[in-house]
Amino acid sequence: MDWRRFSFIGLIIVILFGVVVLIGGEQVSPLIIISSMLATTITVATPLTLGALSGIFCERAGVVNIGIEGMMLAAAFFGWLASIYMNTIFEFNAAISLTVGVVMAIVSGGIFALLHAWLSIAFKVDQIIGGTVINILAVGITGFLNRQLFFEKGSIFGGNVPHAPGLLPSLSKSLTFLCGGEQGCFGLPDLISGSVFDQKPVAISAIVLVAVSHYVLFNTRWGLRTRAVGEHPKAADTVGINVNRMRYINVVIGGMFAGLAGAYFTLESVPSFEPLMTNGRGFISLAAMIFGNWTPFGAWAAALVFGASQALQINLQFFRESIPPNWAFLQQSYVVGLAPYILTMLILTGIIGKTTPPAADGQPYEK
Amino acid sequence: MKKMYVMLVALLLAAMLIPACGPTAPDCSKVETFCVGVVTDVGKIDDKSFNQSAWEGVKLAEKDLGAIVQYIETTDAKDYDKNIATFADENYDVVVTVGFALGEATVAAAGKYPNTKFIGVDQFQGAVTPGLAGLNFPEDQAGFLVGALAAQMTTTDKIGGVFATDAVPPVWRFGEGYRAGAQYVNPDIEIFVVYHSDVGFDKTFTDPEWGAATSKSMIEKGADIIFGGGGKTGNGAVIGAVEAGALAIGVDTDQYFTLPEAQKGLLSSAMKLITPGVFDLIKLAKDGAFPDGNYFGKAGFAPYHDLDATVPAEVKAKMDEISAMLLDGSLLTNVAPVKP
Repeated sequence: MDWRRFSFIGLIIVILFGVVVLIGGEQVSPLIIISSMLATTITVATPLTLGALSGIFCERAGVVNIGIEGMMLAAAFFGWLASIYMNTIFEFNAAISLTVGVVMAIVSGGIFALLHAWLSIAFKVDQIIGGTVINILAVGITGFLNRQLFFEKGSIFGGNVPHAPGLLPSLSKSLTFLCGGEQGCFGLPDLISGSVFDQKPVAISAIVLVAVSHYVLFNTRWGLRTRAVGEHPKAADTVGINVNRMRYINVVIGGMFAGLAGAYFTLESVPSFEPLMTNGRGFISLAAMIFGNWTPFGAWAAALVFGASQALQINLQFFRESIPPNWAFLQQSYVVGLAPYILTMLILTGIIGKTTPPAADGQPYEK
Repeated sequence: MKKMYVMLVALLLAAMLIPACGPTAPDCSKVETFCVGVVTDVGKIDDKSFNQSAWEGVKLAEKDLGAIVQYIETTDAKDYDKNIATFADENYDVVVTVGFALGEATVAAAGKYPNTKFIGVDQFQGAVTPGLAGLNFPEDQAGFLVGALAAQMTTTDKIGGVFATDAVPPVWRFGEGYRAGAQYVNPDIEIFVVYHSDVGFDKTFTDPEWGAATSKSMIEKGADIIFGGGGKTGNGAVIGAVEAGALAIGVDTDQYFTLPEAQKGLLSSAMKLITPGVFDLIKLAKDGAFPDGNYFGKAGFAPYHDLDATVPAEVKAKMDEISAMLLDGSLLTNVAPVKP
């Protein structure tokens, strides 16, 4: 473990939180500020974490994937579309519709990744261009279908966006449902309701997947082979590993992570799809991946920094009136909004130690 | 492989022939045709908000004035001039450009195409340009009204507002009007107002996820009513607030009809009456009485709908009183027209 990196990241988060507590601590109790900022941080970091994991699986296997943004967007759309179809056309209940939506999001992320893998492995297309193609394709397909299905006269939904089946429930709501009422599960739902732990399914699975990915990459035969294929494919090939097969599978797994991130947008955050709604988060994920030196925990920590700086941007404005005059520049939300990008640049300059990409990252394998 | 290329080229050539038999565009240069084109801001014609309201005004003109109507959705801020020119070059009689961001491009186009009338929705005119009317609204009054409403309806004495940006004056006026209205009713109330200003115009209005996260964060700090304003970002805030069990206030149009997901918790909406404003200006253009410079539409707040029974009679009376005072000028919002 790269403790220097983690302590640096931890320090940044503490500073970001500290600024808000210092400024707003008199108006709202520091405990509430911290727990609310922490909740925002975890929520906002969810798509970034999953996007970074997506990048890690692809790049550890030697395929650069800048198409994460597009995969997220496509998954957000198709997942949402599936949930609406299930709910409105086939009249399933919300729970089933949402589950199918999440599955569909993951599958469509995987399909877009398969396309990327096919381009970069079978055709040895420049992987940056392949990724760009995915991004443009996703914008086009989702925008076109969104229009055709929902807004054209005579479309299947009659020119109206139908009622979405709602959103994935938070942990406390799910527990209440599963245990039959507020008092079930030994009062657990009541306890976590409104706390930091009251997250929604995609957010929780993102955290679980960080740990799982770490284990898979560094403690299993599969992970060792994946890394071998990304570091030195020729050596991997000589010991009998099927390089291209490993790459295909890992890129598709990466795409499925991006797909789950897409589900976050339309099934967990807001119950509607907007063209371009991923807003560059796929690219920030890539920064988080580099920031975290291509390791799951590192990338997660980096995603949390980005989440925390967004929480800072939101929370500082709550207490705009309490900002001391000599810190007046903080009143400009632009200044605060720059924080994550400045941080990224600092990280990339190597201030906290070098980041090393997999050696064969981006190179097609030729026997 | 080579065969495939030949096939592909043949197919492409065949595809090029198809548009030749498509429908022909109407000829807008004739006197008897009255053509109205809409250029949207970055965003969609069906944004359930701004572009859509303007488009509905134009569709009214299609129905009532027999106009031929068409729209172009802007996908990139660099294309504003190009999209406006597309209509003007086809001799459209009226071009409606939607949104503050198109202001400069519209002024430039009005100078270049003297035979076309331009309606700039939400574009305040610093100087009069012949053939161009800026359709503006007293957003601060609409914000003031819902701020006053929120301040009367809150049980925690904490309310929140989530807005797309403070750099676009109408959005800023909504936000600050909201603040002023709430303080007018209750000077001690705590108001969280957040503008999403950090990511550039093309994104601040299309970030519902940020809106939802921000309104949730406010509710965690005790706010129980959230006013969301500014395209999809505001919609996200409204939906997020209702989902978290708080009340929400929509913006621009009566969002009870545009955000069905939020109906059960939507207290009201701060409205700019864009649709009638656009229609009135188109009618004036058709009648040859087009006003150059600034034209002011009306602002107001939407009915309480599902929550009507929960709003006490004295609150309703107070709202009517404030509304009347704002209208006759005896009550001023004291909000600066742009961010100082």
